[in-house]
Amino acid sequence: MTGGETVNIFMDKAAKAGAEPVSVKDIGEMNRLLATILESTEQIYCPGVTEKECAVEIPEDRRTDDYRAASVCIEEVFGAIAETGSLICSSHGGKTVQAGLLPPHHVAIVSADRVYEKLDDFFSSCGDSPPTNITLETGPSRTADIELTLIVGVHGPERLSIIVL
Amino acid sequence: MSIFTRSVPFRANTIKALNDPSLRSALRHATETFAQKRSEAKASVPFEAWRDDASAMRSDVLSNLSGYLDLFRARAVRAGATVHLAKDAGSAREIIVSVLKQFSAKRIVKSKSMITEEIHLNSYLHQQGFNVVETDLGEYIIQLAQESPSHIIVPAVHKTRRQVGRLFAEKLGCDYTEDPFVLTKIVRRVLRDEFVSADAGISGANFAVADSGSIVIVTNEGNGRMVTTLPPLHIAVFSIEKIIPSLADLPKLLRTLTRSATGQTLSSYVSVITGSRKPGETTGATELHLVILDNGRSEIVNGEFREILKCVRCGACMNVCPVYRTVGGHAYASTYPGPMGIILTTLLERMERAHTLLDATTLCGACAEVCPVKVPLPRLLRRLRELRVEQDFTTQMERRGMDGFALAAQSPRIFHLGQKVARLSWPLLKKLDGNGALVRMPRPDPVTFTRRMQ
Repeated sequence: MTGGETVNIFMDKAAKAGAEPVSVKDIGEMNRLLATILESTEQIYCPGVTEKECAVEIPEDRRTDDYRAASVCIEEVFGAIAETGSLICSSHGGKTVQAGLLPPHHVAIVSADRVYEKLDDFFSSCGDSPPTNITLETGPSRTADIELTLIVGVHGPERLSIIVL
Repeated sequence: MSIFTRSVPFRANTIKALNDPSLRSALRHATETFAQKRSEAKASVPFEAWRDDASAMRSDVLSNLSGYLDLFRARAVRAGATVHLAKDAGSAREIIVSVLKQFSAKRIVKSKSMITEEIHLNSYLHQQGFNVVETDLGEYIIQLAQESPSHIIVPAVHKTRRQVGRLFAEKLGCDYTEDPFVLTKIVRRVLRDEFVSADAGISGANFAVADSGSIVIVTNEGNGRMVTTLPPLHIAVFSIEKIIPSLADLPKLLRTLTRSATGQTLSSYVSVITGSRKPGETTGATELHLVILDNGRSEIVNGEFREILKCVRCGACMNVCPVYRTVGGHAYASTYPGPMGIILTTLLERMERAHTLLDATTLCGACAEVCPVKVPLPRLLRRLRELRVEQDFTTQMERRGMDGFALAAQSPRIFHLGQKVARLSWPLLKKLDGNGALVRMPRPDPVTFTRRMQ
């Protein structure tokens, strides 16, 4: 399977799980996309650690360093899994995994070359000393605890946007 | 301990459940929906091969459990966790309380865990003066209602939206609504404050990974992630059989568990937690304590019922069980209901308390067909029924009846006489008190099967 096919499967599965995946060609296109996604957002948290995070354009008056108070978290995640449409969030390298959990809107940037085909491909690569926290995130937070009615956005994000770059 | 020596009043509970129309419609809706979603989820994948793999892996773990447990303990300690072994429910509760006291933790948030139900942790912590809040929506509902879970995946499955609306209006002081969306958002708001201010989080674990010392938690709401990453102290409680060899084995169980439980390809969140927060990291509790509970399991693993410990708690067996579907989880008056629950309860709490639950099966075999790890549930249920007879836990009437049948089955003359007596005395028998089942039985046909065949 080629990288492009794997990315297509990932986007398809992620959309089925309720996420909003979009593929972009370059940083410019990413920022144009972000501008439309973030139109009405007030407080934006972006760790600004990776190269792609640093390239995210955020108006200074809307940037916050406190992810607990933010209405959106924009971050680059470790990778993704095509089989399940999942993002791989990892504490590897000092990353704050829960920053993508608390704000109602999570915008995740994934490198196209970090999309694993199967769950096995990723977990077999973890070895016996993984980082403190690895979380697979598949679609937004959900529950069906009241009469099995699906409700999106319980404790975690109500909305999950994915940008494949 | 009298509660554990009295038997479960299963028949009385059943009658109560059968006379509750709102419970019956909630159950029908939920179990049919789950069974349907499960069928759809396995339709386009090699599910049978996955079940074989998952089952083989679970069997391997149980054959080498103590070796895997030793490895898990060593690797978890290496990753910065403190590991405690608890022989029984009482010692698990004591360990948890002493850890909470050591860190002066008063406010506790919990994510859904059946093992903490098994050790009756919440009531004990309340007695000890701790403030414990369940954060899974279903668990939160039943905590507010002061009830116990009636299903291992959807604990409040017996409640209608109207009942939840009235409960929230009464306990939280909000305006009455029966809109599940609004009710869910109310809980999001109320519990967010609890998460941020909690001193400790208590969770279970779906799996414990031997060679990395990790625990794996599978949730949909995100509360499990909050409980395990926001408070400075995280205590995870799980039983010895949750072990899997390595992270490479995890996909086998994830694929089968989530499809069997809710029909999802994967739950929204799968968290792999390996030790406590390390220098330079910003994620994870600074203190991680793992409480590994035995509570009779090392005895089970060495006996003829070992295979029940393969169970991954997906709930599929209850969703297809004709008894569970009709009476619901509370009738079992046990932590675990349904086919897997009957077996585990009988083994953990002994025949004295659980023998009545062995009536809660038709041995139809539907549970064995859906079990993602191929636990031979009907065979284990049948074997427990044999033990029930051997250990004299059947009623006098049943035993005399069986003796009579054994006699009649050996002699055509006595058999035909019995048929005649039953037919003639039928109107009288139906009038006798305590013959509930007889009332619904049709009258014996005057032309017997044998005569028709002649």
